Amino acid sequence: MKFTLKLWRQKGRTEPGAFETRVVEGVSEDMSFLEMLDKMNNEIEAAKDGVEPFAFDSDCREGICGTCSMVIGGRPHGPGELSTTCQIYMREFKDGETITVEPFRAAAFPVLRDSVVDRSAFDRIIGAGGYVSTNTGGAPDANALPISKADAELAMDAAQCIGCGACVAVCKNASAMLFTSAKVSHLVSLPQGKVERTPRVLAMVKQMDQEGFGNCTNEGECEAVCPKGISISHIARMNREYVRAKLFGA
Amino acid sequence: MTMTSILKKVAMALSGLAMLGFLVMHLAGNFLLLKSAKAFNDYSAMLHSTGVLLYVAEAGLVLFFLVHVVSGVRVSRENRKARQTQYAVKATAGQATLFSRTMALSGLIILVFVPVHIAMFKFGNAGGGGGLWGLVMREFSQPLTAAWYVLAMLAVGMHLSHGVGSAFQTLGILKPTWRKPLRQAGVLLGWALALGFASIPVWALMQAQKV
Ligand code: HEM
Ligand code: FES
Repeated sequence: MKFTLKLWRQKGRTEPGAFETRVVEGVSEDMSFLEMLDKMNNEIEAAKDGVEPFAFDSDCREGICGTCSMVIGGRPHGPGELSTTCQIYMREFKDGETITVEPFRAAAFPVLRDSVVDRSAFDRIIGAGGYVSTNTGGAPDANALPISKADAELAMDAAQCIGCGACVAVCKNASAMLFTSAKVSHLVSLPQGKVERTPRVLAMVKQMDQEGFGNCTNEGECEAVCPKGISISHIARMNREYVRAKLFGA
Repeated sequence: MTMTSILKKVAMALSGLAMLGFLVMHLAGNFLLLKSAKAFNDYSAMLHSTGVLLYVAEAGLVLFFLVHVVSGVRVSRENRKARQTQYAVKATAGQATLFSRTMALSGLIILVFVPVHIAMFKFGNAGGGGGLWGLVMREFSQPLTAAWYVLAMLAVGMHLSHGVGSAFQTLGILKPTWRKPLRQAGVLLGWALALGFASIPVWALMQAQKV
């Protein structure tokens, strides 16, 4: 297969960027999108003409770490449903197609180089309260703390978030509500997390705002691109948690 | 006053739903126009006879309106700041709608409409023949006025078709199974209100053409 790639090239945080067009030939339809980029980068390096390889993030390459951030053809992580960039295969594109690759666009995710962005704002949101600091003792007996099936399912669904940032990337407001709400909803579903529910939601939302993420306008674009299928019902839940904390918190 | 993102949205949702409640009653009252001049004028007189209650209700509406508009402007500005660079390839993931994308535009049309509307009917000259009913019928006998009303009501339909469902989500109406039905009910209610309001100038214009 042969593709024309339009790649966003940017040398550093404060440098201006622009698109560069490259043709990649001899691509197997069984290559993942990242393997196709690897092939292109090998060719760039082999040419030894001073052109730098295209910078992109990746780590696990099996859809569990959330590192492989990029917007492919206007969609974070490219065309697939419930998948990350590393889980996209070239057979999902048409031979000869022109594919545009852009970094996640959000003021809170500054571009570091090419498609690589700084997502440490997410770490600071988690740092503000996305954890349990109460002493929960040693590992308890499996059934010592009964948790209803519904609550367990809810917590597990929310806990699937891999912090990839696709929700922010797709949102027209670059809002981090899906990410933040997944953690809030996950922890408030479980007895260990309930203890700190009030300070947690207040601090995490405050941090989210401070990082410069936008406000949620409830379009639901985020849940459509979430590789883990996290529902915006968690956002509704966080809204309730937040109002509860404001009214009855203290 | 600084308010967090969620509080601003909650304020918009509550004020929006309160105004929605007003719209339902307002439309019900307006349909009396179609019944008879007397029915409509009597209804108006009844409202005015409540005296201080009417002032309280009006003050409430002004307050909701201001809260909604001020928060709306702030939310929209912050959202533009949060996404300064746009994508070269513009696409939606499938859940955004034309009307969810144009909330600021439809809101702006309503923002222009409301003062004009109040100047026309609340502070208009109802002293001519037919009282308030006569004033409404005279204004709507002008095709341009009627057309502007229909346009503004389309904006109301657009705004509410996203707004009502959005408000429930903002207020954390939790049950995921309710989300879709509530959203659909919101679209239905929004367009029913908009078309209901729009039907009145159209009807009045047709009456005027007849004579
Ligand atoms: C006067 C001019 C108005 C402006 C500038 C305005 C602007 C806005 C904006 C920017 C939003 C947020 C967009 C979103 O959630 O996607 C919004 C939401 C909303 N508006 Fe308005 N609006 C206006 C009038 C009204 C009126 C008259 C009503 C009710 C009858 C209304 C009902 C709503 C509702 C229910 C929401 C959703 C609340 C939420 O969850 O945020 N709006 N409006
Ligand atoms: S590289 Fe880990 S999810 Fe794609």
